[in-house]
Amino acid sequence: MSGKERLNIFELIKKVVFTDFVKGLSITLGYNVRGSMTLKYPDQEKWIPYKRFRGLHTLNRDENGRELCVACELCSKACPTQCITVIPMEDDTGRGISDRVAKVWKVDLVRCLFCGYCEDACPTRAVRLGRDYELACSDSSCNLKQREELLVPQSVPESFEGGVVAASTFEASPAGLRVKADLTKTKKRPW
Amino acid sequence: MSTVKINGKEVTVKDGTLILDAARDAGFEIPTFCYQADLMGVGSCRMCLVEIEGQKKLQPSCITPVLHGMSIHTETPTVMSARASMLEFLLANHALDCPVCDKGGECELQDMVYKYGPHKGRHAEPKFKFQEKDYVLSPVIIKNSNRCVQCMKCVRVCGEVVGANVLGALGRGDHQEETSFLRSFLDCDQDGNCIEVCPVGCFMRLPYRYKTRPWDLKGKDTVCPYCATGCRMVIEERDGIVIRAKAQLGVGLNSETLCARGRFGFDFINSPERLTKPLVKRFGTLEPASWEEALGVIKDNFIAAGKNIGGIASARLTDEELYLFQKLFRSMLGSPNIDSSARWAPEAVEGFIKATGMDEGGASAFDCMESDTVLITGTHLSDENPVTDYIVRRISAGRAMNLVIASPRAMKLDSSASQIVRHNAAAEGHLLDAVTLSVYGGNVDKLRDVPGINRIKDARQDDLAGKAGCSADDIKAIARKLTGEGSVGLFAGTEFLRYPGSIPGLALLKNALKALGKKVTIIPVLDRANQRGAWEMGVHPGFGPGYSPVKERGMGCADMLEAASSGELQALYVVQSDIVAMHPDENFVRGALSGLKFLVVQDCFMSETARLANVVLPASSFAEKDGILTNQEGRAQIIRKLLPPPVKAKRDIDIIRAVGETFDRSFGPKNPVLVLDEIRKEVGMYGEVSLAFNNKRNVDNKLDLKEALVKPAGLAEGLNASGLETKLEPKTDEHPFLLATGNHLFHSGRLSRKSPTLIGLLKNAIVEISAEDASALGLMNGDKVRIKGRYYEAYATLHTRSGSKGGVAFIAENYDDVPVNRFFRRGEGVPRVSITKA
Ligand code: SF4
Ligand code: SF4
Ligand code: SF4
Ligand code: SF4
Ligand code: SF4
Ligand code: FES
Repeated sequence: MSGKERLNIFELIKKVVFTDFVKGLSITLGYNVRGSMTLKYPDQEKWIPYKRFRGLHTLNRDENGRELCVACELCSKACPTQCITVIPMEDDTGRGISDRVAKVWKVDLVRCLFCGYCEDACPTRAVRLGRDYELACSDSSCNLKQREELLVPQSVPESFEGGVVAASTFEASPAGLRVKADLTKTKKRPW
Repeated sequence: MSTVKINGKEVTVKDGTLILDAARDAGFEIPTFCYQADLMGVGSCRMCLVEIEGQKKLQPSCITPVLHGMSIHTETPTVMSARASMLEFLLANHALDCPVCDKGGECELQDMVYKYGPHKGRHAEPKFKFQEKDYVLSPVIIKNSNRCVQCMKCVRVCGEVVGANVLGALGRGDHQEETSFLRSFLDCDQDGNCIEVCPVGCFMRLPYRYKTRPWDLKGKDTVCPYCATGCRMVIEERDGIVIRAKAQLGVGLNSETLCARGRFGFDFINSPERLTKPLVKRFGTLEPASWEEALGVIKDNFIAAGKNIGGIASARLTDEELYLFQKLFRSMLGSPNIDSSARWAPEAVEGFIKATGMDEGGASAFDCMESDTVLITGTHLSDENPVTDYIVRRISAGRAMNLVIASPRAMKLDSSASQIVRHNAAAEGHLLDAVTLSVYGGNVDKLRDVPGINRIKDARQDDLAGKAGCSADDIKAIARKLTGEGSVGLFAGTEFLRYPGSIPGLALLKNALKALGKKVTIIPVLDRANQRGAWEMGVHPGFGPGYSPVKERGMGCADMLEAASSGELQALYVVQSDIVAMHPDENFVRGALSGLKFLVVQDCFMSETARLANVVLPASSFAEKDGILTNQEGRAQIIRKLLPPPVKAKRDIDIIRAVGETFDRSFGPKNPVLVLDEIRKEVGMYGEVSLAFNNKRNVDNKLDLKEALVKPAGLAEGLNASGLETKLEPKTDEHPFLLATGNHLFHSGRLSRKSPTLIGLLKNAIVEISAEDASALGLMNGDKVRIKGRYYEAYATLHTRSGSKGGVAFIAENYDDVPVNRFFRRGEGVPRVSITKA
């Protein structure tokens, strides 16, 4: 009996001094004084994902610059959406690690679901899903990525740990929009 | 019969059945590498080990026959672990570079390891390597011995089936390498059968190298478009380009084998030279036109020509197309002038049909090989019909029989023969007459009434033997074999059509043997995929579909050309036949064709004939149509469409129908299926032919399915086989060699000359004479020589063959650089030539 009464008194005091109100307000006020969580993307900051991220495909080379892809077509076979096309050819000039190289290696990003089966299937670790994720464009021309383009190293090297926010600059030119991240200037993410 | 228990299941099989076959029949699977039904067992791979109760060691089931009462186990833990161990050993030195291996995806080793194998090996030492890089063995074969499983199938197929014997095993044990002598470049038949039987990526196709994975290929069952053996194969394309033709184990009469033409000659399909749109001649040049325009021009000119019109269709078209073609002429244009060959005279064809009994329905080559004595005559079988040669070699090696080969030129198959007879060129008839006379000598009573016997019965044996150019002993030996115990089989080839004077000799011998009560099976050996079909569809001036009599006899090719020169024939419709290149006497053909008012040529390529045409219609290759082809044995086999015809080209059946429809909208039937229905109704021979077995893997490698053989027509009485004679230019000192022609091993007609791969096998023309003749002339193999006839001379590389009869020079009809028909002159018989060093 008496306990119940005490409770009621507590409630009463809470109501009188606006405890809940102050509590809520303090969170709001707290955000006011804490730094911003919004990334100033694209012109100042850019999120660099973790290594496990699965973005745009990249085709790797070995330390001597030879293409790792041997055009075995296993990636295209493993792909659940059949969006990779590989056509092999013979070339023993040292372009690749074997005399079998890709004449065509292309991926149709519209159909890709970034599942990463292709990289799992690859016997030479030639294809990896990299950390480029700015894939939007105003027409469908950029959806088909060809070998030549994928062989150009991506902006985030595989060795880079990731999971950080990097300083970035935004460049708009007739050639297109580009967000350039500076991997030497990174900070932890603010959340 | 033996009764054995396999995994507890009791089965009764014939004595001597292999455990492997018995188990497979009983429904148990046993993996194998080195076993192949039609090759000699070697038991080398040990994948097929089974456990037999009472025997301590496991036994290879592929070479162990069953014994009555055996109890066999195929799936015990011991067996399973033995399989896994065998695979582990195979992988110890195996390259395992599947990602770059062209076999990946259809590799028997991959499948086997996946199913039975240890998924981890324990061999840590470095792998032994035969070589670092794949090496090229021939223009069509590339090899990587590091992937070899030492099953010896390549060596066995090359020796036992192909008869080339160019492969062998170098080294021993795990260092044993199956390859050519000293891994040198192969001078072989280039048929790629070693590639097809190889279970791994050791022997590989060079033209297919690094082009695709098997799962990217779309394939269709078809039949080789070259010779009339009728080999079944699958052609496969990627992105519209045909990149492989392969034969399948147990499918078709050829099983896994093909010859170079079939396996590598498909690349004419995607040739950039293919005709893609109709052309109409305007002011002397052929210019692109629409189909409507082209058909309009054809209609106007055909109407103007009235009945003075003729048609020549290639013997590579399908039965449906050929049937519609003759229907177009006979019932729509009202002209009896049709032919399917630019080379043979119609009477010779009729005589040959009668002599070989083609109207009596199909006869299987396997049945023929079951005969006790087989005589091969009038064909250079090893080059003309290579896979028929394989069948003969394989079967004759496996049973006790007489195989007699009579031919002026030596051939690969000679090594399988029990008697070889070298006779003069064009003297098949004299040889057979001499044989018949010898048979007659011993059986005068029985043979007195054989039709035609009067022609020879008073001849002198020595005269005939002398004309044939062989000894009386040879003749007697053949006669003795033919009249000995048992049945007789004959393979009779195209020389009979080339030298029609020989046909009565063939007919007479057949009749005489039949009169002696013998079972005689004759296989006509033909060199165009659907030559027999063309005749059976009635594309011949003397008979209609199913050899039925015709109301009015028409003109054959030669007569049509004659009539064209005299202006009597006004229009000619030629479908995929290059008469300028094929008809003896090219100049005459050119003259005749220019005498025409109107020439339509329907072809895949701008052939020599097409260049002279007023209208050229773009046609289809075998890969672009559905239909049936009838092989030399009379087996009707389906081909299926893999690709659409290029650009504006059309299927031949649609073009022929469209031409008919310009006269009558109802001309038809409208598609190949309906045409086949009509053929089945109208042509008794085809009424009950089963096409159902096609493309299925036959159980226990039984290749000879007789349901597909056409039925007897029995209409040969109406055929006109009169006036058969062989005309030869008289022999002179100036021109000592008789000019023989036919197909080269790598080629068939001119079609194969559009295949870059086949051209790569042999670029320029060769002329072949016997080694003895060559040394008498002081010439050597490989010399450049001048071949001079009365009307033409040409240069070619000399090829000598030891063991050939002298006095014959062979030039294949395939080469465009030495068009052999230019040596011929109309009406002057088979030419003679001289050969001198160039
Ligand atoms: S990520 Fe998945 S869907 Fe995309 S290409 Fe690779 S396998 Fe195909
Ligand atoms: S990327 Fe890898 S899996 Fe794909 S074809 Fe190249 S090597 Fe093969
Ligand atoms: S032969 Fe078979 S197992 Fe060997 S590398 Fe080729 S695909 Fe792989
Ligand atoms: S291509 Fe034919 S002849 Fe040549 S090695 Fe192979 S099997 Fe023998
Ligand atoms: S050319 Fe004749 S033997 Fe050769 S694959 Fe074709 S059908 Fe068979
Ligand atoms: S299949 Fe029996 S030992 Fe090779």
